[in-house]
Amino acid sequence: MVNSPGRHNSKKVMCMDDLIKKKLKAVFRGIKVSVEKDGRLLVTARSDNTREVLKSLKDAGYIHLALISCVDWIDKRKFELVYILSSYFENRHVIVKTDLKREKANFETVVDIFENAEPYEREIHELFGINFQGHPRQIPLFLERDYEIPPFRKDFDTRQYVKQFFDEIPFVEEDR
Amino acid sequence: MRELELFFGPQHLGMVGNFSITLKVEGDRIIQATANPGYLHRGFEKLMEYRTWIQNFPLVCRINVVEPDHMEMVYAMAVEKLAGIEIPEKAHYIRSIYLELARVGSHLFGLWAYANMLGFDTVAQWAMYHRDLILDLFEELTGGRVYHIYIWPGGVRRDFPKGFEDKMISTLHSIGRCVPDYDTTFFNNRLFYERAKDIGKISRDQAIQLGGVGQVIRATGVKTDIRKIEPYAAYDKVEFDVPVREDGDAYSRVWVIRDEMIESVHMIFKLLDKLPKGEVYNRIPNPFKWTIPPGDTYVRVESSRGELGLYLVSDGGEKPYRVHFRTPSYTHGLVILEKLLNNASIADVGNIMISLYVVAPEIDR
Repeated sequence: MVNSPGRHNSKKVMCMDDLIKKKLKAVFRGIKVSVEKDGRLLVTARSDNTREVLKSLKDAGYIHLALISCVDWIDKRKFELVYILSSYFENRHVIVKTDLKREKANFETVVDIFENAEPYEREIHELFGINFQGHPRQIPLFLERDYEIPPFRKDFDTRQYVKQFFDEIPFVEEDR
Repeated sequence: MRELELFFGPQHLGMVGNFSITLKVEGDRIIQATANPGYLHRGFEKLMEYRTWIQNFPLVCRINVVEPDHMEMVYAMAVEKLAGIEIPEKAHYIRSIYLELARVGSHLFGLWAYANMLGFDTVAQWAMYHRDLILDLFEELTGGRVYHIYIWPGGVRRDFPKGFEDKMISTLHSIGRCVPDYDTTFFNNRLFYERAKDIGKISRDQAIQLGGVGQVIRATGVKTDIRKIEPYAAYDKVEFDVPVREDGDAYSRVWVIRDEMIESVHMIFKLLDKLPKGEVYNRIPNPFKWTIPPGDTYVRVESSRGELGLYLVSDGGEKPYRVHFRTPSYTHGLVILEKLLNNASIADVGNIMISLYVVAPEIDR
């Protein structure tokens, strides 16, 4: 193992994560924090204090927002927003999860905390239909049409959509 | 002076793939730039939810046309982590060699695009020719030139064929012999300096704040590389340097790309020296009935453009429940580009875009 600052620092990182865990648990109500087997920190926060949790994680050294993702758990009737933060210099990352109700899903923007959150939130708004309050420009990013059900939701039927939109176009042979 | 709105794209010098920008200009100064992605949105992430774990391999590599190999790697790593598959020692080494070869190929393609954009046609042709030599190597190893589907959960699909290592060494030597030519004609050329110096300049703090990765952040003096921070494959078994520059402009970014290419070639030689013997593949369960235990994971690798991540969720079924790629061009092309274009001149748009090394299919997915 010649060159692995990540593994070399793992003990220090563990200590730091334990500290962060204690601090988060002391400050925020209804928060679940655990250090997983693979070393990542998993935080499950309530939707009303997720913003504050992200802010304090940023202050604790997780300065890089790698990804904002969304999972549609249709059976549990909820969306799960996933924020992945990491550090530029150490082998550690944290996953912050929060649940939203599926109907009229609404959440606060984090663009003022992490500037690069802007396109991620735009994308989630477009593909899942979650509204981000306070977002500077929540306009479409990729898609050119309007959809009744946002296309990345699990109840969006791709086959039916294709049939509806493209079946009416006759085959080239029929045209002749 | 009158303000005008200029639609720039979707085909232009500054991008591999289709991508347009709406520029608000006054004279030839840009006041505001708005990036419009979506020309290449193929909905891969949704498609992957309808296919089995193995069927997704031909899809993932198509997300980034220039450099499919790191896509395969990140997907295979995530599947292995969720399913708890171990891979043999030799496969780790072969993966690293293969990924570094891909990095050289991708950087040569980037150099082609950049040199072409500046009007250095000769250098561009050299870079394309040398990339083709690397594609020949890939063809011999995997059967495919552009899309390889070589990395597989459990290892790699096949061992190096007979004589392949020697061929790889001689190819890399013949490319390496041309580095002085590249330097005289391009990198140490006054014209390149004049055209690229102080163009698209980003400060260190700004790069961190905007979530820059890869060359964009390394050109501002931040020495960060996932191969060092969170070593995967065989990167912890070999010594290598992470090239950085201080100025944060287009000039620095292109120099970082050049230095990385040379470092990658050295790394391939070191890895070949240490290449262990043994199997390259651990058998996985029957792919047609393969279910993966419920859970989620985030894995990341250092692709040739920076941090490439994958958030993968399994609900215990035969197909992924959710796939979300974090691609480096996403932040570079949608956030940093818009910032850097402010107050730039129209003539520099292509220069700034291509020095950020943005690949459009990677943004749209």
